[in-house]
Amino acid sequence: MKKVVQGFLCGMAVIALLLVPACRSKKTVKPKVVPTETAATVPPVPTMTTTTETKVTNPPDFVQTETQPPRVSTENLPSDVEELNRAVQQRGYLQDAFFSFDESTLPNDAQAALTTSANWLKRNPQYNLLIEGHCDERGTEQYNLALGDRRANTAKEYLMTLGVDGNRMRTVSYGEERPFDPGHDETAWAKNRRAHLVLVGK
Amino acid sequence: MKRFLLLLASAASLQAQTQIQTTLEASKATNIVRIAIPRPETTLPIESINGPFFAPLTRDIAASGIFAIAPIPPNIPADADLAKASNAQFVLALRVTPEEQDYVIEARLLDTTGVSQFGKRYRGTAPALSRMAHMIANDLVRTINGKPGIFLSQIAFASNRSGFYEIWLMDWDGANQRQISRHNALSILPSWSPDNDRMVYTSFTRGTSDMYIINRRGGGRIRLPTGLGLNTSATFSPISSDIAFVGSIAGNPDIYLIRDDGTNIRRLTTTTSIESTPEWSPNGRQISFTSGRSGTPQIYVMDAEGTNVQRISFEGEWNDDSTWSPDGEQIAYTSRVNGRFQIRIMNLVTRESRVIAGEGSNEQPTWSPDGRWIAFQSNRSGEWQIYRMRVDGSDLIPLTVDGENKDPDWSKKAE
Repeated sequence: MKKVVQGFLCGMAVIALLLVPACRSKKTVKPKVVPTETAATVPPVPTMTTTTETKVTNPPDFVQTETQPPRVSTENLPSDVEELNRAVQQRGYLQDAFFSFDESTLPNDAQAALTTSANWLKRNPQYNLLIEGHCDERGTEQYNLALGDRRANTAKEYLMTLGVDGNRMRTVSYGEERPFDPGHDETAWAKNRRAHLVLVGK
Repeated sequence: MKRFLLLLASAASLQAQTQIQTTLEASKATNIVRIAIPRPETTLPIESINGPFFAPLTRDIAASGIFAIAPIPPNIPADADLAKASNAQFVLALRVTPEEQDYVIEARLLDTTGVSQFGKRYRGTAPALSRMAHMIANDLVRTINGKPGIFLSQIAFASNRSGFYEIWLMDWDGANQRQISRHNALSILPSWSPDNDRMVYTSFTRGTSDMYIINRRGGGRIRLPTGLGLNTSATFSPISSDIAFVGSIAGNPDIYLIRDDGTNIRRLTTTTSIESTPEWSPNGRQISFTSGRSGTPQIYVMDAEGTNVQRISFEGEWNDDSTWSPDGEQIAYTSRVNGRFQIRIMNLVTRESRVIAGEGSNEQPTWSPDGRWIAFQSNRSGEWQIYRMRVDGSDLIPLTVDGENKDPDWSKKAE
């Protein structure tokens, strides 16, 4: 499925006369981003030179404004915020950071996920980011709210060290109030211990 | 809205006209007192007053911890002879008389010599019948042991039955459940003011978590902006206008104070670890809280100025939700035991604790104002519901069934 999407993306890029830079950029992806299975399926983040910028034929909402740094969209991202978030998560542009039980430090794969996310965010400065801190159900509600706050802020600070502007990001903790997986086993719990990245428009 | 009007109307139309005469010494009341409670004398069909009045009254009296209800032999009038015949010390003689829209209830407590130890008239409309029952039970407890009963106390909680978790209230026996907050957004962790008039809680209605104060009828809602993250676990001081809560700066949750008018924010803890879940001692001089500074969440106590911090829980790898008994001598909290959360009660003098073991996960204990009961949340049925038990774990009953329900907080004043 991911491959189909990727192929389709490249196809779109051909039409937009962006084929070469978009697909070439695969080779420029840092190895750090792809040590995990999740990261390996991530489509590459396109890099471009300023000479190709003039050829961008994207819809108006992606047309670059003068005040923003150069950015590129090789595809048509939805404008509806829910669909947009589904798309950037499915395509791996934004990746959540997952934590160990009662921990708020970032494991290696969480750092890799945030590195991928930071690369995309820096190339798409028109979006602001909400970072939600979540916990599994095995803690207590009140302490988990505090733990989720720390997780969200740990992710925010890491993104800042990677060059994402802190003013674009805000955090909220839901503790164990909004599990992503309602199950009661380690598979579910592992999914629920996360800093969840959500685009909140421009 | 209609519901609030109805409540207001029923409260307004309920007046007690009374003379209490008591020749009992309050100090005598250490033992359980046997009481005979025949059905009320009335011209009305008994079914019309049984459910709304007589059943809650006998439930209250049976649960009081003061009275034991004696079985009654048939066909004996409600007087001294009935007390003797049922081997009881007292008979509660009740008469219910309709007067226009009102019910007039006379209650007399007769001893075995026929002397009235207590007598009072209550008047109210039909919706106030259960309230009159709770008032009578409260008055009987006060007559016998000199302390108020808890039967008009209220339990605040969060319920998702309307689609979102919102703040709700119920009577102590689970009756009369009604929605208080209407954010249409996640709203949790209500905590009563010491005068039982207001609650402070956290809502995510603005996309951030913020503290709100609301009165018990759902009006007068205000937000308390702090400029901090979290704004959770808010709790009123029993002696001042301060509210203790968890605020955070850049992912560092600490215990803070704020006045109930939103002014004078003060930070009480300054560690880099997670601090959470403050709770005042009943005299307002100390605050218990949870801290992860040792590596796992544990219960600590400090002075209300943030000084003299002491760790008090040492068993288990996760303790939270500490709450003081009304006499300040014990702390109940949530304690992880063999991988599951249980209610634990610690004696603060001896530092010994005991676990009240139950099925499922059992969290967020809250004491009744008389210290005899604990309400808490459990997922033993497969979903979160609120339960009530005596402090020894006996007489466990569920108080909620609709939707999922959590975060119970029992009102501080008995009446």
